[in-house]
Amino acid sequence: MNSEEEAAMFAPEELARRRAASRRLAWALGAAVVALYLLGLFVKR
Amino acid sequence: MSQDHPAARSLDRSDDAAPPHAHTDGAQHAAPHGLLRWLMTTNHKDIGSMYLIFSLFMFFVGGAMILAVRAELFQPGLQLMQPEFFNQLIGVHALVMIFAALMPAATGFANWQIPLMIGAPDMALPRINNWGFWLLPPAAVLLMLPFALAVFGIGDGALATGWTFYAPLSVQGGIGVDFAIFAVHILGVSSILGSINIIVTIFNLRAPGMTMMKLPLFCWGWLVTAFLLIATIPVLAGAVTMLLTDRHFGTSFFNAAGGGDPILFQHLFWFFGHPEVYILLLPVWGLMPHVLATFSRKPVYGYKAQVYSFIAIGVLAVVVWAHHFFTAGLPVPALLYFMYSTMAISLPLAVLFYCWIATMWRGAMSFETPMLFAQGFIVLFGIAGLTGLVLADVAADAQYHHSYFVVAHFHYALFAGGIMGVMTGAYYWLPKWTGHMFDERLGKAHFWLTVISFNLTFMPQFFLGLAGMPRRIPDYALQFAEFNAISTVGAFILGLSQLIFAWNVVKSIRGARNGLPRADERVWEGAQGLEWELSSPPPHHSWEVQPVVK
Repeated sequence: MNSEEEAAMFAPEELARRRAASRRLAWALGAAVVALYLLGLFVKR
Repeated sequence: MSQDHPAARSLDRSDDAAPPHAHTDGAQHAAPHGLLRWLMTTNHKDIGSMYLIFSLFMFFVGGAMILAVRAELFQPGLQLMQPEFFNQLIGVHALVMIFAALMPAATGFANWQIPLMIGAPDMALPRINNWGFWLLPPAAVLLMLPFALAVFGIGDGALATGWTFYAPLSVQGGIGVDFAIFAVHILGVSSILGSINIIVTIFNLRAPGMTMMKLPLFCWGWLVTAFLLIATIPVLAGAVTMLLTDRHFGTSFFNAAGGGDPILFQHLFWFFGHPEVYILLLPVWGLMPHVLATFSRKPVYGYKAQVYSFIAIGVLAVVVWAHHFFTAGLPVPALLYFMYSTMAISLPLAVLFYCWIATMWRGAMSFETPMLFAQGFIVLFGIAGLTGLVLADVAADAQYHHSYFVVAHFHYALFAGGIMGVMTGAYYWLPKWTGHMFDERLGKAHFWLTVISFNLTFMPQFFLGLAGMPRRIPDYALQFAEFNAISTVGAFILGLSQLIFAWNVVKSIRGARNGLPRADERVWEGAQGLEWELSSPPPHHSWEVQPVVK
């Protein structure tokens, strides 16, 4: 895999956008985990 | 290259309080020093190092436990310990090796390498990253504390159920089971936090131009692993919570005396437990093509085939769990389904083996230590795969279940596959992390001693199992004596030879003081990928200048 370096640093706005998207996805995944856990607790034979 | 850039700081919260200042590549920020630095760090490389050091330490702790077990098994009869303590050592050895040695090693690799490989300045959620690591040491203490408490007359030692917590034994067990349940919850939270962080980092922080089908295979392996953890850890947590309520709050989920079903526990446990095997192995399968391509001086063969195989294995991993208890009395249609679905895993796994071998085919191969470990991994892990097919057969499993054949099989999978894979990655990336090469002579000695003593330890166990020796017993019939003696001698050589690895790591960290040469950016002649374009060791904020992937 080749790469080339651009003169620009990471743009703060772009990083902020990516971090916000990361937080949203993290909350969604965390909610899925809690839902699975609670489902496990209510398993009936 | 200036590091005094708001974008760089925005991903590393440890620097929030530090005044802006300019410095050069490789310099450190005015972050906390000493113990506080490690306690508060949000830098992916610091956290990766902590995971790896913790993992190495716990590897020796878990190893010491099993050496005591092997010492007891050197001869028939009880020489060194009572059966209860023997059972405790076996169970805690497994939990330590799985949760505190292998998984943290893979997470350490992920922390160090994923941002470097995808062109990100750090992990997406640095504080969660810190928290994920610092949950581990208290959980490890909880696992082993009952040993110490028993010395002072409190409780009857650690959990003696094996790592599987099978009910009804675990419903009736002592306080060691409660400690282990608590520890597993904490370890699970740590794994979930790490997994979420890895998924969001890979999805959101890739360099421009790095599409998912250009993602390094190591990252793909970890991505599937992270989803497996998210799907299965909550089920384990639910199962052990139900176990806790059975023990202390009057429920009867698993207690047959109260109308519960012990087999339900086995279903819930192995819904986690079987994917756990792939959770331990997928990161290793992901790093293997990088190593093989580097030392064969060829591109990776079958990139897409490997990606699709990872995904296929991830899917199959969660639908085959009941092959771990074929003998529990499942209905015949269920036996057939779980037999065929288990055997189906060998198809994508065979694709991986094919791609690994094809990557080396007609390459300009050289045999530095990482390549030796990769080759050893392929051969020995192949034995794990083939013996796994034997155990997947319902009729054959009726004889081999709960025998030493199973013990030998899963050690070929998890030592030769897991730990030798981790050694492959550690030797491959160590110069990138420390900035200095390791001692190649010591690395080769470590490899050959490991391979020979590993086979000396575990190959006889196949024959012990075939001859009918059951697992998890401290005493055995006389006809098993010779193979057990050989296995114990092998285990002690295997354990002691891992000290060579620890010394080699220390030498590489000490670097010039031990007369080892500096590592350049690329480290290995044939290495390809973004991570090899950064200095060795990489600067504090790994990628400040955004790389663009063509």
